Amino acid sequence: MDGIHDMGGMHGFGRIPIEDDYVFDSDWQRRSFALAEALAPITPFGTDEHRQAIERIPPSDYLKLDYFEKWAVATESLLKQAGHISQDELDVGAKLFHADVGDRSPVTGPELVQAMKQGVPLKFPDDSQPQRFSEGDVVLVSSESPYLHTRLPRYVRGKTGLVASAEGVFAFPDAAVGGVGAPRQHCYTVAFSSETLWGREAEPNEVIHLDLWESYLEPA
Amino acid sequence: MNNNDGLGKSDGEPHTHDPSEKGAARRVQALEEVAIAKGLVDPQALDEIIEYYERETGPRNGASVVAKAWVEPDYKTWLLGNGTEAINHLGFSGFQGEHIKVVENTHEVHNVVVCTLCSCYPWPVLGLAPSWYKSSAYRSRVVREPRSVLSEFGLEVPDEVRVEVWDSTAEVRYLVLPQRPPGTNDLTEAELAGLVTRNGMIGTALV
Repeated sequence: MDGIHDMGGMHGFGRIPIEDDYVFDSDWQRRSFALAEALAPITPFGTDEHRQAIERIPPSDYLKLDYFEKWAVATESLLKQAGHISQDELDVGAKLFHADVGDRSPVTGPELVQAMKQGVPLKFPDDSQPQRFSEGDVVLVSSESPYLHTRLPRYVRGKTGLVASAEGVFAFPDAAVGGVGAPRQHCYTVAFSSETLWGREAEPNEVIHLDLWESYLEPA
Repeated sequence: MNNNDGLGKSDGEPHTHDPSEKGAARRVQALEEVAIAKGLVDPQALDEIIEYYERETGPRNGASVVAKAWVEPDYKTWLLGNGTEAINHLGFSGFQGEHIKVVENTHEVHNVVVCTLCSCYPWPVLGLAPSWYKSSAYRSRVVREPRSVLSEFGLEVPDEVRVEVWDSTAEVRYLVLPQRPPGTNDLTEAELAGLVTRNGMIGTALV
């Protein structure tokens, strides 16, 4: 989705707010973070769905809302989409109907913390999918700009880069959330020179790396 | 040196609150109350999640990884070859740290990490990301003009040093291995870890 979230290379945002050096600045931000983590297994939703829900926030709101308010908006929209809560309930802050979550139940604190410490297996065996590219290959990045979720930023589309490493086989978020493309693919770290990306405006002697799934790439 | 642990507010200028923040607080409170009333969430679990991230993750974990790499050449080789395994070996693992690649600063290369699309960050070794890392300015500019961005952080990288930017667009998370500061030969591993800052491991500072 060509949304405001895809910010790489945009002009106009000014100085880095280095003084904003905190993780949480208010308790509601802590609660928003924890709610997203705790509600994910029961709704259910994953990281890709939550990201996509944030990306769907209209650009003017995206720029205005605090980071953790965007998390809350995304969590609300996923719960509403699943039919577990309604906007009326959020407006009054009270339960108005019973949520049918099937055989799922709220995950306890110790279970959640255990899962967080273990992490989620994201990688599949290297030989589980054919591998089209290897280190040193020159690749051309796709110019496709899908309406649905993608992890291919605008600023490298149509550009030529060098495969720096093959990172293995991972689930493809565009397929997981949008249903488009092979569900598991090799993913590569691709290096781009700053001149390739920014032309004469580029600063000297810089290389920008992105991790890109195989279907974003063609041989150059 | 910035000894801020990355959690809570740093010293210095008070943060200016957005006037809409009251609305955000109310919004999150309503979501929490409805989710609890409907039996979707265990209120105690929320406290336990927050406590876990604030107490058990954070830049101190990453600093101990860096210090070990500085004193043990074999560990450094392992860390640069298979960051995930070498980091797991020290007991750090979990969400947003399932696949970690460690990139080394040298006299020829300076590395800096970003996520232009959202806020990807290696939670088990650095904790949750600081606010500026998620800002529109950092995300938009560091892939386009990293030298200018680093200069705002007070870091002037000479033109002959190549700047390598790592945009975390997939499942790999990045940790910068800073150069060991000169004159630290007499320090213990624990003392060295005390020198390593969060920004040093993002790449927006030297150590």
